[in-house]
Amino acid sequence: MSSTAPADPPAQADAPATLPPLDSPEVVEMHRRMRRRAGRGRRLTYVAAVLIAAWILLPIYFVFSMAFTTQETVRSYPKNVLPFIPFSADTMQFFLESEGVLRGLWNSIVVAVITLVLSTVISIPAGYAIARYLFRGRDLFRLSVLAVRAFPIVVLSIPLAVLFLRAGVFDSVYSLALMHTALALPTSILVISSVFASVPYELEEAGQVFGATPFQSFRYIVVPLVLPGIAASGLFSFVLSWNEVFAAAVLTIDNRTLPALVLTSLSYSPDAFQFAGSFFLMVPSIVFMFFIRRYLFNMWGQVSK
Amino acid sequence: MRVRAWRRHMVPYLLIAPAIVYLALFFAYPMYEGLVLAVYDEDAVLPVRAEPTLDSAEVAEIPQGGALLILDRQSQAMIDDDGATDLLTEQWFRVSGTGDTGAAVDGWVSEARIRVRSEDAAGNPLAGTVRPRLGQSADPLTDVHAEPNDRSGVVGRLEQRAPVEITEVAVLEVWFLVRPADDPGEAAGWAPSRYLQVFDDGERGRVHRGTAGEFTTAFIERMVDDRFFGPALRTTLLIMALLIPLQLVLALVMALVIHARIRLSSGFLYVFALPIGMSDLAVGILFFSIFTGNGLLNSVLDGLGIIDGPFAFLTAETTNWIIFAIVLAELWRATSIVMVILVAGLQAIPDETLEAAELFGAGYWQRVRHIMLPLLRPSIQVALILRTILAFQVFAVVIALSGGDVVTVLANESFRQYYDLRNDNVASAYALFILLLSIASAVFYLRSVRAESEVRPT
Repeated sequence: MSSTAPADPPAQADAPATLPPLDSPEVVEMHRRMRRRAGRGRRLTYVAAVLIAAWILLPIYFVFSMAFTTQETVRSYPKNVLPFIPFSADTMQFFLESEGVLRGLWNSIVVAVITLVLSTVISIPAGYAIARYLFRGRDLFRLSVLAVRAFPIVVLSIPLAVLFLRAGVFDSVYSLALMHTALALPTSILVISSVFASVPYELEEAGQVFGATPFQSFRYIVVPLVLPGIAASGLFSFVLSWNEVFAAAVLTIDNRTLPALVLTSLSYSPDAFQFAGSFFLMVPSIVFMFFIRRYLFNMWGQVSK
Repeated sequence: MRVRAWRRHMVPYLLIAPAIVYLALFFAYPMYEGLVLAVYDEDAVLPVRAEPTLDSAEVAEIPQGGALLILDRQSQAMIDDDGATDLLTEQWFRVSGTGDTGAAVDGWVSEARIRVRSEDAAGNPLAGTVRPRLGQSADPLTDVHAEPNDRSGVVGRLEQRAPVEITEVAVLEVWFLVRPADDPGEAAGWAPSRYLQVFDDGERGRVHRGTAGEFTTAFIERMVDDRFFGPALRTTLLIMALLIPLQLVLALVMALVIHARIRLSSGFLYVFALPIGMSDLAVGILFFSIFTGNGLLNSVLDGLGIIDGPFAFLTAETTNWIIFAIVLAELWRATSIVMVILVAGLQAIPDETLEAAELFGAGYWQRVRHIMLPLLRPSIQVALILRTILAFQVFAVVIALSGGDVVTVLANESFRQYYDLRNDNVASAYALFILLLSIASAVFYLRSVRAESEVRPT
């Protein structure tokens, strides 16, 4: 942006007479200086971008290569960082064949899917209400949702565990999903409301003008426009549940989800197991980030408003 | 028409109702319960009664754990068994046979006085004989009671070795007449065995569990006195103090890079945002793979000839390295979210403002310093609040890198109290403490920023 901006100042038409003409030597010199500075800044920006990308990608690359190699390589020292680590499914196979892993994976999927469905179903009406209606208590509701979102998970897990224990629904993937839904709900509501807010109400009105019922205009005009955004918010809930480890470890004993399993076996599991486990924990988030790129700022940017 | 207006008025409330109900049920209520758990001891005191029955009057309350003198014991019909396993029970048999006078006797005798001679297939006693009493001075006859209780009236007496039929069995709980050991002036009262622990001599014991609640600071005191509390608090604050400034700077650089709209900008944004969705446990393991003895860092340092032989970064002797690794892992993991908030803030700054500054000869750093940073203030505030609250909850990263003992943090202590020590109350006290710290820091940021903007001339 900074390199193109000064080339054609829009103030040209009504520039005060005191400004030197645009082709005078000092103006040309100024432009040249600015462009040079901008070019240098541009190169610096690329260097910074590449360095930061390396800082983020190299650790991921390393742990992934550890997850797909032989167990001997995982134990070996020093590792040949370049030219890279031999590829093998050995570590992965060892991980998947370890006791409880497949079950943990399945539990994680079940919990995450329930969380996705439940939080989306509850958030859609709430998000729509915030986006479309002015009602007394709207700001209070929004603020409480924001406050809930910032609350520490730790604070919620322990009393919930005690309550679930009393109610006899302890150590079940379903009660864990209820907890994860409570955690995902605030973000989900805010994201979905911002997605609805991005569809002008005039479109809905136009539909009604042409004879659609409110429900029809919602169904045929709004829904197709908001569907990708709602899918992104659902993915967010899925990943939140997939990653969540504190509550999962507190609320389950036999029905461990994957992160809870990896966490509670950290002290005695071999490195190969941990690296393969971290691969499985990371994969959904990498996919997720790809699909929600467009909604990144809907999800987190809007907090500043 | 009126109905319609009413309906329109109610629509938004109906739409948000499910969310409100859900959050009340699975958020507000547990929060409240957590608060209560931290300051209220459900089993604090045991009321003792004038008679060995539940409906008799309370004569005193003895705190949980209090030492007792046991003055007497008696069996009583059992209170509903609420899953208690430590009951001292006695069985009484309803027997019928011929008494010492030759008349038929039908009544209750303690199991101690009857030897069972035959049982049915399920193990229920059917018949037996009266046990003889040893010793010359002992009464050769055995009392038969009207009720399964040795204070009830005697309906007859049986000779020793007399055969009896057993028609009914009652399980009775033993009640004890107790008095606090350290306070002989206190009134004695009756309590059922399930709440007491009786020592071997049968004369002393302690209150195992109370039945009435009481507000208490005991759990908070126990948390503060815990040997891990100090280190956990210090480490949490240290990590925060090191992490947040670094994070802010790095996030600002990342945001400026994205904001510069270079080629492949959206690709860089994807890469920069990758850690946002990452599991903290996975990131902990990621950095463990780098810092562990035969990990990436040692391999690289060794390969470059900087060290010979692996250096153990993650041991009890090198806690500073562990904290460094934790800070690095958190920097890697949680900077992206700050970046997103800052990029959103930067996007809200009109291009014209920056272009005007450029036209007036402001260099890049001057634009950052005098235009972007002041306009980013609200975004930075939000990012600071978010990051501080999240920094109080660092958990899985710490466990992955330190095992949770050498270096510990508040969230880990809450987990330890719940998971290893099975102490819900102290765990809740830790959770409450984290909550208070979070609220305090949020209020601090909000106030400090507002105060500054109020004194600034407008």
